Amino acid sequence: MPGADPKGTLDPTIVVTGLGAVTAFGWGANALWEGLLRGRPAISAITRFDGKRHRTPLAAEVPLHEAPQGARRAPWTDRFAVAAAREAMRQAGLSEASAAGVYFGSSTGGMLESEAFYESLLRRGRRRARPSLLVAQQLNGPGDAVARDAGATGPVETVSSACSSGSMAIGAALRALRRGDVDLALAGASDSLCQLTHAGFNSLRAVDERPCRPFRKDRLGLSIGEGAGVLVLETLTHARARGARPIAILAGEAATCDAHHMTAPHPEGRGAFEAIEAALADAGVDRDEIDFVNAHGTGTPLNDLAEARAMRRVFGARAASLPVTSTKALIGHLLGSAGAVEAVATVLGLARREVHPMPADGAPDEEIGLRLVLGAPLRLVRASAAVSTNLAFGGANAALVFRSVEAA
Amino acid sequence: MTAPVVATGLGAIGPWGADLASLLAALAAGRPLATPIEHDGGDASRLAGLVPDVDLSAWLPAASARRLGRPSRFAVAAARMALEQAGLSSLEGRRVAVVLATSFGAVLFTEKLVRQILLEGPESAQPFYFSECVANAAAAQVALSLGARGVNVTVTQREAGPLVALARGAAEIGEGRADVAIVGAADEMTPLLHGVLDRFGATARPTPERDEAPRPFDAHRNGVLAGEGATAVVLERESDAAARGVPFRVRIAACAGAFDPGATPSDWGSGDAPLARGLSRALERSGRGFDAIDRVVSGGSGSRRGDRLEARVLIRALSGAPSPPVLVPKAVTGEYGGGHLAAAFLAAAGAPFGAVSALSRAEPGLGIVVHDGSPLAPPRAVLATALAAGGAGAWAVLERA
Repeated sequence: MPGADPKGTLDPTIVVTGLGAVTAFGWGANALWEGLLRGRPAISAITRFDGKRHRTPLAAEVPLHEAPQGARRAPWTDRFAVAAAREAMRQAGLSEASAAGVYFGSSTGGMLESEAFYESLLRRGRRRARPSLLVAQQLNGPGDAVARDAGATGPVETVSSACSSGSMAIGAALRALRRGDVDLALAGASDSLCQLTHAGFNSLRAVDERPCRPFRKDRLGLSIGEGAGVLVLETLTHARARGARPIAILAGEAATCDAHHMTAPHPEGRGAFEAIEAALADAGVDRDEIDFVNAHGTGTPLNDLAEARAMRRVFGARAASLPVTSTKALIGHLLGSAGAVEAVATVLGLARREVHPMPADGAPDEEIGLRLVLGAPLRLVRASAAVSTNLAFGGANAALVFRSVEAA
Repeated sequence: MTAPVVATGLGAIGPWGADLASLLAALAAGRPLATPIEHDGGDASRLAGLVPDVDLSAWLPAASARRLGRPSRFAVAAARMALEQAGLSSLEGRRVAVVLATSFGAVLFTEKLVRQILLEGPESAQPFYFSECVANAAAAQVALSLGARGVNVTVTQREAGPLVALARGAAEIGEGRADVAIVGAADEMTPLLHGVLDRFGATARPTPERDEAPRPFDAHRNGVLAGEGATAVVLERESDAAARGVPFRVRIAACAGAFDPGATPSDWGSGDAPLARGLSRALERSGRGFDAIDRVVSGGSGSRRGDRLEARVLIRALSGAPSPPVLVPKAVTGEYGGGHLAAAFLAAAGAPFGAVSALSRAEPGLGIVVHDGSPLAPPRAVLATALAAGGAGAWAVLERA
């Protein structure tokens, strides 16, 4: 297509100027970071629905009673998204974002509210079921809600590629900014707990009965979480022009597909390897510049092994000393929004030169062969770049590369 | 720098069947492809654009089809149909991206899974339903079927999704991350979903004076024909397509998107100004004005608010210039399932569109005159437009390469 920078005026440097998060640690990116540094999982008994009916009764729930006022009738997924976006905009010094594009991910939208519709439909009949509850299920709901709240008039694109949705949405924003489609973007994702995903992952026997233990020998599966993460992204030129302070650089992204199995990763992590390699190339970052990895790290036996193999292939001998953590060990697997919240955690780690830990319990799996950050935060001597990975149903892999702001 | 991108193959499955000849005939005839949909009684709307019982075995072996939800089946078959037209019998050595849009995903399996969980208990949930009810199931199944290991993205932006997917796929090719992209849309319509759309007043309904039919931009329109199906378009770099001598080539000249923050979550708003700016951006990027657009392949569907907004956006973007003929393929194919996207590429390739039989008179004041079926000169370029409930808008300028 024509129109790609014929005058050479596009700014290839894309910076993060605002962060927002809603997770089981609370409403806010600071609450997330403080919780992550404490290293104790926010995974406990489900209260959102009758967890005892499910094979595994644990999940990482957002404390709904701490929700800010407003939009009470909106689905929780939308409320998480809007709260995270407002926080990110505040940090970025934006009172409005009318020129922004919104690139958002969600894997189930407001399925929790839709289940109430189905429940009513099944128990009381179609005439008495409120179809407005089903509207909540729209996967474009959270991204649209963010755009509406911010007054955004740029492109809005919702990605629903299961557990890679958030990373892919951030990747889509990066491409749009580089292309000059927009100068400013709100990028992120949101998902909420629902019975469908909890029962669905249980039906695959992919949920651990204890809090998940990524990369540990006795790992038995994931723990499901919920929440939202949002990044304000803009060209460096745009940020400087309005006096915004960059927190980090979003340097590269890539996505690939295993084309191997609907629910299992390629055993050698082939697609994950290709995604990380391509993201590093896109970023122009040498693998030796990477100072830590925020891994997908679900805690399922197959995922963690495949992902570790991919990382060992990318980083070679250095993989044994490269710090690796999994945010899911503490706040569960946020499904479509995992990539967004983990991007927030990765940026905070780079900015604060610290890698958050996973809980110490459980012996590492020798087959993994990675340097796991366990028990206590790891201070970094050097924090120049980091990778965040997410792998999904259908073999959809995504990787993001962030650089420290000193490189700007 | 981006390379020129062309479509070289088109596959479409919908209420017309599983071949392009039937779709072309239907668009020329201008009659809605509506069939009765099963209901549990009492609904105002009784028709849907359902895929008939067609044989997909040429594209998808029956044994494989049994393991897939209907959107996945439609998508895999449409993708293979499109690749055949593109003359790509093998994708070996090519980086293949898949970008599909869906409005509602695999609704039937979602309904079944939720019923199992709620009625029989969570332990009754079948893994098969779960893995096939994720929104990206169709895109993943296309990748599995083709061995496509490039980016695999599912876009969910309601009615604007197919054009958003087209933009994303074109970028993957133009920016050099893929050699071939399968872009399109897949959706299914179930009695429950149709009933919900009906209760929202979204679907067309019969009146004492008129049959149930979608009537885009008409004074008597009262809703859409809810449809289903899948469309797949093969995209390649123009240089690759030219080297292979592919006969079907439609260039993606430009794409753009915008949002109306005044829209409600389930309806269209009235913010024509930001959307008209998005439309104008698409034209600017294509290096054209409206005077070089020979057809508008509108997303007009018969929705009262949606069509009104689309008309206002077009009128504002035209800024007093005469309107090119406005085509309304959703009057034939229905909403959802990618019929509109397929029609846009067919229009760009010069396919004739007939008068829409259900239309009686344009709504006064809309300023939109729907194409009356009279013969048109071969187009230089067409503008495809789509506005989504919820606020998103997307546009693409297509031209014969």
